[in-house]
Amino acid sequence: MLKVMNLYFNYNDTRVLEGIVANVEKGRVLSIVGPNGTGKTTLLKCIAGILKPAAGTVVIDGHDADGMARRELAKHLGYVPQSMPVRFPATVFETVLAGRRPYIAWRPSRDDLERTAEIIEEMNLADLAMRDIDQLSGGQAQKVLLARALAQDTLYLLLDEPTSNLDLRHELEMLEVIITLAKRKDMGVLMAMHDLNLSARFSDTILMLYQGKIFCSGKPSEAMTPENIREVYGVEAAVRQENGYLQIQPLRCADLSPSRGNRIPPYVKDQED
Amino acid sequence: MPNSPCGTDMRAPRLHNRSFLIGWFAVFVLLSFLPRAAFGASMTVRDALGRNIEVSLPIQRIVALNSDVLEVLRTLKAEDRVVGVFSEMVRERGFWGALVERPKVGSWRDPDLEAIASLKPDIVIAYSRNPGPLLEKKMALFGIQVLRLDLYKVETLEQEVQVLGQLLGREKEAALFCDWHRRHIEMIREKIDGALTRPSVYIESYTDYHAAGPGSGGHEMCLLAGGRNIAAGLSIPYPRVTPEWVVSRNPEVIVKAAAYGNGYALKDRAPFNRRRDAILHRPAWRHIAAVASGQVHVMDSAIWTGPRAIIGIAYMVRWIHPALFPDLNPEALHREYLETFQGVSYRGAFVSDGLREAGR
Amino acid sequence: MNNIADDLCRGYKARADARALFLAAAFFLLLTAMAIGLCIGASGMEFREVIASLLKDTGRGHSIIWMLRLPRIVMAMLVGFGMGLAGAVFQAILRNPLASPFTLGVGSAAGFGAVSVILVFGGGFQTWYIACGAFLFSLISAALILAVAKMKRASSETMILTGIAQMFLFSSLTSLLQYMGTMEQVHEVVFWFFGSLSKAGWREIGLAAAMILLPFPALLWRAWDFNLLSSGDESALALGVNVKRLRMSAVVAASLVTAGGICFTGVIGFVGLVAPHITRMVIGNDHQFLLPASGLVGALIVVFADTLGRTVWAPQVIPIGIVTSFIGVPFFFYLLMKRTREYW
Repeated sequence: MLKVMNLYFNYNDTRVLEGIVANVEKGRVLSIVGPNGTGKTTLLKCIAGILKPAAGTVVIDGHDADGMARRELAKHLGYVPQSMPVRFPATVFETVLAGRRPYIAWRPSRDDLERTAEIIEEMNLADLAMRDIDQLSGGQAQKVLLARALAQDTLYLLLDEPTSNLDLRHELEMLEVIITLAKRKDMGVLMAMHDLNLSARFSDTILMLYQGKIFCSGKPSEAMTPENIREVYGVEAAVRQENGYLQIQPLRCADLSPSRGNRIPPYVKDQED
Repeated sequence: MPNSPCGTDMRAPRLHNRSFLIGWFAVFVLLSFLPRAAFGASMTVRDALGRNIEVSLPIQRIVALNSDVLEVLRTLKAEDRVVGVFSEMVRERGFWGALVERPKVGSWRDPDLEAIASLKPDIVIAYSRNPGPLLEKKMALFGIQVLRLDLYKVETLEQEVQVLGQLLGREKEAALFCDWHRRHIEMIREKIDGALTRPSVYIESYTDYHAAGPGSGGHEMCLLAGGRNIAAGLSIPYPRVTPEWVVSRNPEVIVKAAAYGNGYALKDRAPFNRRRDAILHRPAWRHIAAVASGQVHVMDSAIWTGPRAIIGIAYMVRWIHPALFPDLNPEALHREYLETFQGVSYRGAFVSDGLREAGR
Repeated sequence: MNNIADDLCRGYKARADARALFLAAAFFLLLTAMAIGLCIGASGMEFREVIASLLKDTGRGHSIIWMLRLPRIVMAMLVGFGMGLAGAVFQAILRNPLASPFTLGVGSAAGFGAVSVILVFGGGFQTWYIACGAFLFSLISAALILAVAKMKRASSETMILTGIAQMFLFSSLTSLLQYMGTMEQVHEVVFWFFGSLSKAGWREIGLAAAMILLPFPALLWRAWDFNLLSSGDESALALGVNVKRLRMSAVVAASLVTAGGICFTGVIGFVGLVAPHITRMVIGNDHQFLLPASGLVGALIVVFADTLGRTVWAPQVIPIGIVTSFIGVPFFFYLLMKRTREYW
């Protein structure tokens, strides 16, 4: 199990994350939801080791992440960013192969190449394998990033808004792939999600963040109530079960009472662009 | 009878008025034809650019923008008229003596025009090319004249010294120097013309592996010293060459120009000797005749080009044609120049030591 | 492993083999260029004589070949290799295809070091003082970059900004010193900035070789980390790369390589920018191959440029820095015309 305990993060003396607690079990999917700026991405980056938390610990299967070397950590956590800046040419194969870095001493071994090839095949990217990544569509590129994280052979996956740049079909496809992998390989998945419906449908647990703190957590049907949605998103919504899935339908903007102090959550710019 | 400007009729007696007017008219005519002794004379001279320049006299206040000018002014015993000097002259404190106290006007290339103007000189004397023509334009605003003299080219040195002598009323001093200069130049030229051989010489400029090509001062010095410059056929004044090329041309004498900035202040010849030794030890250069026979010499910029080029030529001619000039003593010549014309005692080091006494 | 995956592996292998082939080809091309350069010189030796001189023990021909031509060519090769290598490294760690060994100000700092020596010692300097001055200030500039990186962040933007500031600082200081110098000193400075291969003897070559070739294995060891840097600091961190430490140590190594070359030869520009580009256009961005290949291509360029500079206007020499700058011009025009994609 991936345990996040009492995580705090500051950015230039501004408190961004306060007392975050989360548990991700193997084979389960935990989605982090919340409005923009609540710190979803920041939380993921703190767990992945990209940002250094001010306080708190991350424990992976009993090992303290803090005590681990970065390379070691990369064997436990696979991080999939939202997008990737492309400045220099690289093929799909090379990009996925890069995911083997935690295992590469100086040059990739036969084993690394085979693993990479397997994953590319699994993800149906074989036709694109020798193409340059800048020539791919958004959906394909996102798949490549996922493939790279899978090449790390980790037990846990961290995904930062994996569907935000994708069209309808690719959104579904991506999430279906993720869920299948999670179940089949018994991987714990932690993803920051933007879309409430998709997160409700594909997650086992929801963690709702508001202003850097946990607002609530639990099964989708427990967490995603109209009251919670009104508080956190400032939106009046209707929640019901349809076609076997939880459907959240936004109705209108809520009338926010002044006593709550509707502070606009601080927007935290991602640090390492 | 001309109308007065006010248009009123002048009812004075006609004869009185006419002579009055004629008188004034005559004065004006006279004034326009008289030499301007009342306002100062002028003289037309030829400057370094070949232009005929009219210079107003007398010249009592001079700003000297480079060391060659200052040196010649001292030769002409006109240094008291110097009211402003180029700033870099303080580097040669010992040589310039009291002149170091004179007000500074900035770099010889880029002087402070305001500083010059504030000294109210009659004339500014500068090289033909540096500072640029803007100097004339700006100085004209203050009514200050500018004269361009190079004074570092051996062929034109005497002419220019004479020009300056005339302008300053120092013809006697100018003639003294020019005679002395001419005497030695002619003596050298005569002997060289009669020489049976013209040894090949490699002249290296201040920067290593840059030869003295046509158009450079070094090339002129070589010719005047009766040497055959191996770089004479190259295209630019300071061409870069490969060490291999020098080896292949196998010069018999090597002369390197060095710039210590103040040879006058040196205690001994050690810096020149060090440079000489460095050249002797250049890889593969031991195959060069000049290196093998020890005919490698280093010379200070003070006697390289400038009013003292004759000294540099004297040294070079001793190195290149030692047999022709057994009695020529460049150091004595230098001492004579410094004591007679510059009014300072001989001091310092200006060349490297010879490795072999001339035995040709 | 099934067929498709097998094909993929083979496809990747084939590419790797092609890259290795390019490396070998570049190496042989370099040897050829060096041999040609060895046969060309002002003393006009015939080919037979060149071989004889190579093998003989003494004599003028032997001295010319072993003391003049060979050191020149070897130094050209070394400096070119260093520039190519350092250029590729700087482009990787600054994630900027327009970076060169001089982007972070090393060239300007070295120039300032050289100029200071020329001015401080007046006419009394020995040539190796200049090398020391240039080297010392190159290291100072690298240290400055590291200090700022440690204090603020070791991001590529921070380094580039610091580098540009340094470039301006040292350039202005250099100009100031030049302004205060005599004509001869100014000449000396200007000619230093043109670059020169004439001053390198075997001892200098030994020192330069140490500084250029010793960091090479260390940089090659990190080739995969450089690959990862190109996908962003985030990705690199997540994949286990200590980005800050990598950047800082790479700056040290690459600055050492750069300084080791230019302190003896003066500034030789463009090679560090052009060699990695050309190489990348042919074999892509895998640093396992890009680093050595870029070095070889850089060496090739400088050896070729030197031979060109010695022949085109013989016996006058066009300074090496000028020739390499000229090479840059058509190259960039070519890039402008041929570029189809938005990156490199």
